[in-house]
Amino acid sequence: MKIKLIRTGGFIPLTKMAEAEVNFSENELVRLIEIIKPDPAAQRVKDGSYYQLTFGSGSAPVDLEKVPEEYKELFSKLKNDMRIVK
Amino acid sequence: MLTRLIESGNKKVADMAIKTRFRTYRFRSDRNFFRAASFYEKTLLGVTAKKPAKTTMQMEVYDCMKTTDLIKAVLIWDTKNNQKITSLAGKNVIKGGKASWDFYWDLFGRNSIDNNGLLIKQYVHFDKGMDNAYWDGRRMVYGDGDGVVFASFTSDIDVIGHELTHGVTENEANLDYENQSGALNESFSDIFGIMIKQKYNNQDVKKSNWLIGEKVLIGIKYALRSLKAPGTAYRNHPELGDDPQPATMENYQEMPNTESGDWGGVHINSGIPNFAFYVSAYNIGGYAWEKTGRIWYAVLTDSNLAHDAKFVDVKNLSILHAEKLFGINSLEAKAVKQGWLEAKV
Repeated sequence: MKIKLIRTGGFIPLTKMAEAEVNFSENELVRLIEIIKPDPAAQRVKDGSYYQLTFGSGSAPVDLEKVPEEYKELFSKLKNDMRIVK
Repeated sequence: MLTRLIESGNKKVADMAIKTRFRTYRFRSDRNFFRAASFYEKTLLGVTAKKPAKTTMQMEVYDCMKTTDLIKAVLIWDTKNNQKITSLAGKNVIKGGKASWDFYWDLFGRNSIDNNGLLIKQYVHFDKGMDNAYWDGRRMVYGDGDGVVFASFTSDIDVIGHELTHGVTENEANLDYENQSGALNESFSDIFGIMIKQKYNNQDVKKSNWLIGEKVLIGIKYALRSLKAPGTAYRNHPELGDDPQPATMENYQEMPNTESGDWGGVHINSGIPNFAFYVSAYNIGGYAWEKTGRIWYAVLTDSNLAHDAKFVDVKNLSILHAEKLFGINSLEAKAVKQGWLEAKV
């Protein structure tokens, strides 16, 4: 399965993206998305950046601070590999 | 009772009664006026004798050590201890934070972000190569940039002033961060950010290049935003393409009110009120903070500025404050009208 990490927003609104091939099961993906979803009551950060994970035909918002230990390496690599979408 | 006395037929009694009613109306009217007036307006009228007693800025600077954990960030400088630091980003935010605090205090008697001496907290070296700076409701956070497209987001004093002003706005009108009110929120930050830089560098409206983030965006031809000519801060940039900001209302960008839609284009459409400010300031002349800045500060702190204000609301309030501060037919009021006219609002 191909996943994409997309960053938007910021002082000047940029879109950055990286992708990786993973072998998540459907259940694993559902569980991960539930764990890493941002707090819906969180205040909008002025000039803040936001992350979105896309997979297949779906997508979900991501709070990178909530990524569980076993996925940190994957998300760290995705973040480092991000490039500006022109 | 007063009506009966006025109509009593006794000229002396009627005269006293009408004067009593007149004084009562004036008192009520004055009280309503002063309740709504800002500290600065009261100062102009001489009813507040002077600024509050001199106070001092309180600031702390933390080093995030290239992580995203703000709780584990290390305190590297505070006003109490005035430590020697080696971090250039740290030095930059101390300089920018002081310049911003001084700007608000010296010109408006405003004591910090909340006008109540709030401790200014600034976090540098956030994340690895983070190309951003933000205000999270309690503090300012700065990334180092990727070193290729972006330098450290502490490189420009106007960016630091921009972030601090988000805190000021949050404590005043608290403009909703979406659509036109969000673009106004961004615009106030750009406007005060550029004036903080102009004052720090002693630049008048003609000397200033009106660019935000000219060092943050690497390359001599580039800056993050232009108040003088929105849409021209960068052109044909190899990574970013063209600056998308409009200068006039006819080019307002309708964008989705989502993260990826920049909450309805708050960083895009801010070009319109930015341009109105630039035209106003340029036509008024001199140092922008002396007159135009006073008008915009009066708007920002006006209790009639609603959290969901639109461009036209700031237009009306800025004209009103220009007339109150400088006179109905003053050059300043005419310049502000012209500014909004040229922005086609």
